[in-house]
Amino acid sequence: MEDIVIKGSHKDYFIPSVNFNSQTGICELGGESFLEDTVEFYNPIISWLTEFTENVKKPLAFIIKLTYFNTSTSRCILDILNVLKDYEEAGGEVVINWHYDENDIDMEEDIEDYMIDTGLDINLIAFSNGTE
Amino acid sequence: MPSKEHKKAIDQGKDLFKEKMKISYKGPVDERILTVFGDYISSIDESYRNQGKKLFKIFFELAENLSSYSSEKVWLDSKNKSVGVGALILKENDSDFMLIAGNPVFDENIIPVIEKCEYINSLDRESLRKYKREERRRTPSARGNAHIGLIQIALTSANPLDIEITQVAENISYLSIAVKIDK
Repeated sequence: MEDIVIKGSHKDYFIPSVNFNSQTGICELGGESFLEDTVEFYNPIISWLTEFTENVKKPLAFIIKLTYFNTSTSRCILDILNVLKDYEEAGGEVVINWHYDENDIDMEEDIEDYMIDTGLDINLIAFSNGTE
Repeated sequence: MPSKEHKKAIDQGKDLFKEKMKISYKGPVDERILTVFGDYISSIDESYRNQGKKLFKIFFELAENLSSYSSEKVWLDSKNKSVGVGALILKENDSDFMLIAGNPVFDENIIPVIEKCEYINSLDRESLRKYKREERRRTPSARGNAHIGLIQIALTSANPLDIEITQVAENISYLSIAVKIDK
């Protein structure tokens, strides 16, 4: 299974950085997400996770370090988390760490809403401005 | 001596600076404009860093909404696509920032927006969060848009959405949405 590595950029659109490693099971999504076609970008990511959870079946650590995402992206994040929830319910080992600016109350609420929506435990990791 | 038209433009320009106007724009709203404005908003004032983040988020949602629903479109050869035309204003007041997005819209599209804004304004924060979760779950991701932009704007601003509609032509109204972010 090939890894996914996408370098994030902040140009006309904001492309998030993606680093999914099938050997270690560490998957990181960071930066900003404002895309020309959100579904086209996230579908391969969701497919990768589905394949990992169905075939590789190793412990999976999902690390989110998004500083901004628009509402189109927010639905795709829900789809990702639902894949992780299905994996957990099927006996897979999943850890989700979501890093966010300690002053960003809106982001903290967003993460809480995802926990309510999916029933997943998400570790909230607050950082001070400039420390990440 | 400047011409009468030039003098009027000078006065308008001077007024923009007097009013602590941060952005005043009318034209096509595509991603290049959004990126420039977004970067500018992010750097407005370090002492209002949290407000800057909120303004950034709200600005993108308002602008995306505007670009999608404006009845006035312009074709951009460089992008090989049409984008909506609208007005974007960001103004700083003593106790708040005000973001205003306006665009002409076909009357048939107005009623759902009014109803949605009225419903959003009737909800307290917890109910609004619940409504956002429901709407996000309900909308298929294949559509590429969760249609929760207005809900997110209200949550981020923590203030009611101020919506105004003015008839400007047969079957077309001007829709203006103002959002306040407290300092």
